[in-house]
Amino acid sequence: MSSATRKSQKDIDKAERGLFRDPRILLFIAAILLSAWFIHPGITDGKLTSNLRYGLDLEGGTWIQLQLEGEVVTLDADMGKIIQQDFSTLLNDNVTVTGTSPTKVTFTTTRPVSKKTIESFGYGAANISGNTVSLAVNKPSAIVAFLGNNIDGEIIFLGSDTYEIRKDITKDELNILLASVGGQIEKNGQGEDLYSHTVVPETLELTKTILNSKLNAFGLLDVPMRTVGDNIILIDLAGTDMATAQNLVAKPGKFEIRVYTTGNDTRHVLYGEDITSVGVPRERDEGIWGIDFSVNQHGAIALRDAAYETGATDDPINHEVAMYLDGKQIFSAPLANELAANLKQMAVNKVAVGSQSFVTTTGAGEVGEAKAKELQIHLREGALPVAVKIIGSGQVPAKLGAQFRIQSLIAGLFALLMVSFVVFLRYHQKGILIPMLATSVSEVFMILGFASLVGWQLDLASIAGIIAVIGTGIDHLVIITDEVLYEGSLPPTKVYLSRISKAFGIIMAAAATTIVAMLPLVFMGFGSLKGFAITTIVGVLIGVLIARPAYGRVIKEVLE
Amino acid sequence: MLDKFVGIVTGYVNTHTVKQIIALPILLLVLSIAIITGATVLHGTPVPLGLEFEGGVMATLATDMTDSQLENDFASYDLISVRAAGNRKLVQFGAMDQDTQMQLTEHINTKYPDSEIMQIGQVYSTELQKQAIKAVIFAFLGMAIVVFLIFRSPIPSGAVVLSAFSDIVIAVAFMNIIGIELTIGTVAALLMLIGYSVDSDILLTTRLLKRRGTIEDNIFHAMKTGMTMTLTTLAALVMMYLVSTFSYLVTSFSQISIISDISIVLIFGLAADLVNTWLLNTGILKWYIETTPQRKSSKKRARS
Repeated sequence: MSSATRKSQKDIDKAERGLFRDPRILLFIAAILLSAWFIHPGITDGKLTSNLRYGLDLEGGTWIQLQLEGEVVTLDADMGKIIQQDFSTLLNDNVTVTGTSPTKVTFTTTRPVSKKTIESFGYGAANISGNTVSLAVNKPSAIVAFLGNNIDGEIIFLGSDTYEIRKDITKDELNILLASVGGQIEKNGQGEDLYSHTVVPETLELTKTILNSKLNAFGLLDVPMRTVGDNIILIDLAGTDMATAQNLVAKPGKFEIRVYTTGNDTRHVLYGEDITSVGVPRERDEGIWGIDFSVNQHGAIALRDAAYETGATDDPINHEVAMYLDGKQIFSAPLANELAANLKQMAVNKVAVGSQSFVTTTGAGEVGEAKAKELQIHLREGALPVAVKIIGSGQVPAKLGAQFRIQSLIAGLFALLMVSFVVFLRYHQKGILIPMLATSVSEVFMILGFASLVGWQLDLASIAGIIAVIGTGIDHLVIITDEVLYEGSLPPTKVYLSRISKAFGIIMAAAATTIVAMLPLVFMGFGSLKGFAITTIVGVLIGVLIARPAYGRVIKEVLE
Repeated sequence: MLDKFVGIVTGYVNTHTVKQIIALPILLLVLSIAIITGATVLHGTPVPLGLEFEGGVMATLATDMTDSQLENDFASYDLISVRAAGNRKLVQFGAMDQDTQMQLTEHINTKYPDSEIMQIGQVYSTELQKQAIKAVIFAFLGMAIVVFLIFRSPIPSGAVVLSAFSDIVIAVAFMNIIGIELTIGTVAALLMLIGYSVDSDILLTTRLLKRRGTIEDNIFHAMKTGMTMTLTTLAALVMMYLVSTFSYLVTSFSQISIISDISIVLIFGLAADLVNTWLLNTGILKWYIETTPQRKSSKKRARS
């Protein structure tokens, strides 16, 4: 006996051993048991429960897609021209730049200015002698301050002449602005502008964190948020209607700064829209924690006048500055002495102020640090780090979602009945019909098991995917059955084996094309089509690797 | 019953020339291309675009109000159309700015509770359009590559790909005729069609090229299996279409438009697939086997 025939004899022996010793059957049973464990169906208080999670269109709620409006740009500008132009506007005087070096700019002004006034413009430490101001500033910080003052948004220096602008500004608008200070957007080797409408990953993460804390504050916990590409966030808000959801997400909380006048009376200073940027919590002198934030010109003037007129500049302790979010006080502290003196000087001299940076101190040690972090989030709720735009949203009422769930189940059952009818018409054998339907149902069960395992939400699109899998699944079972029953009855084991391998040749080829056709959707695609593609691929794999081989074995047993 | 029908079709294939066999599917393909071209010239797009690809606001309202009452109620918004969707009313609006849209949402939620609403901005719809086109093209190319890798022979592989292509084109033309819009659901249906379409084509090609026996016999058996496959799928889809579309007539359920759209597009795509697989693909394969010398000899050997 040659080794080849001995080998095929071995295969025949393997194929003829008991059903429950066949690895294909054992794998199938294990997969079914595992799926049952993962789905964990049960009845609590007369209601069917399981680990299955439903998407919004089957559960009810609102979905929102947010685009972050920011740019990452590589650019250059002339530091001297920036200082000349910005300080002329800020001091309402025609200043003359007398010298620039990489770390310093000197200019002269006819206005009497103090070190604090100059420094409050956010360009850097100043040294004043007579009419000459010498400013310790480098190019990136000058560009950050200049763009921040002129765009009213936050600018982050990312290194090597690249900046993140956390506001929507077109390439043309930016070029015009830069041209006024002898600058431009840089180009890459191919001559393309180094300007992209996107944000850096850290900004995306920060935005998500702040949105999350906002939603938490509203009482919505564990809100699923996914990101698509580098600047789109998808949010699913179960049980929330669309108007509420849109307001929550896209509109900032109402942030207000007020100052105490007499007793418990307060006077309005500014709203959150005047806040242009919020820094990160930092430890300042003597272990005191603080956080800086900038306001635009309108806010700066309002703060200057309010502080002066209420007497907070002379008596900070009795006229604390308080911050409110949606009408609730979140922070209150006296003005720092230096800031008070500086505001008073600006008010007395009626210096035309530009946008201003302030430091709010929150105290020393860990308590101060924790407070600073909390305050950062609150200040941010007035202003997300970057402007956001709702690019898509939708609502499915809970009632309709529940109805869709039952209706898709009914559609599935009716479809299965119809399929049974057609299969029975064709084969007239219960011995074929029952294993075929059982295989098909078990494939769905295993897909659901997998969905529960990875905690993936079933939505209408993934139900469409399951339908696709049932459809190709039945097709494949028909191929197996017809191969095995080519002569109308079960052939000898040797022929059966070659027929099964032929059938699987066709099935694997068909499955490969389906999977390849779905792959593009997995790697691109916004949400719903992605769910459809992943369900189809997982389903096809479960089918060809677990369920259909088991069917091939069972059909032999049944026909014998 | 199936045997009889398959026997008739096999008989037709066996007694006619390849030109006669593929005439009908080619005619359908050409007609469909003409319809799609006409639609593109008339409307600017090959298929009417649904909300997801066009942008705007759409709502399905549970209301007894008449179309004109609804038109009045939404007069201050850019209302494009009002139509019935089962026992609900579907109102569609053009693109609007965020504040107007939020106002509209409030209006709908106050006056028509339990409404389904969807709003798609221009940025998103344009991006989705690009992605959907890319997805269909890449899916099709991916399928074609796998088919070529499987059969490693240009004419049989080409026949499979042509047949799948024709299925999609006929389905798209059909969408134009009965006014089904291109939505996320119908794009999914077109992609599913690729999968269903090649199933029976791969079965046919494998049986004809790799199995011994007469070509007539092989066609008969492949067709019997393949028709069973397509008929079971069609049966399931017809049921799904009926339940998702018309259950409002006998129950309080409303339509599930995504399932309804997917099933109707697939039903017509699969009907087209029956013609394309068993006439177009079979015709080309038969001609290929009969004219390729090597094949002829192997066929003779099988017969002798």
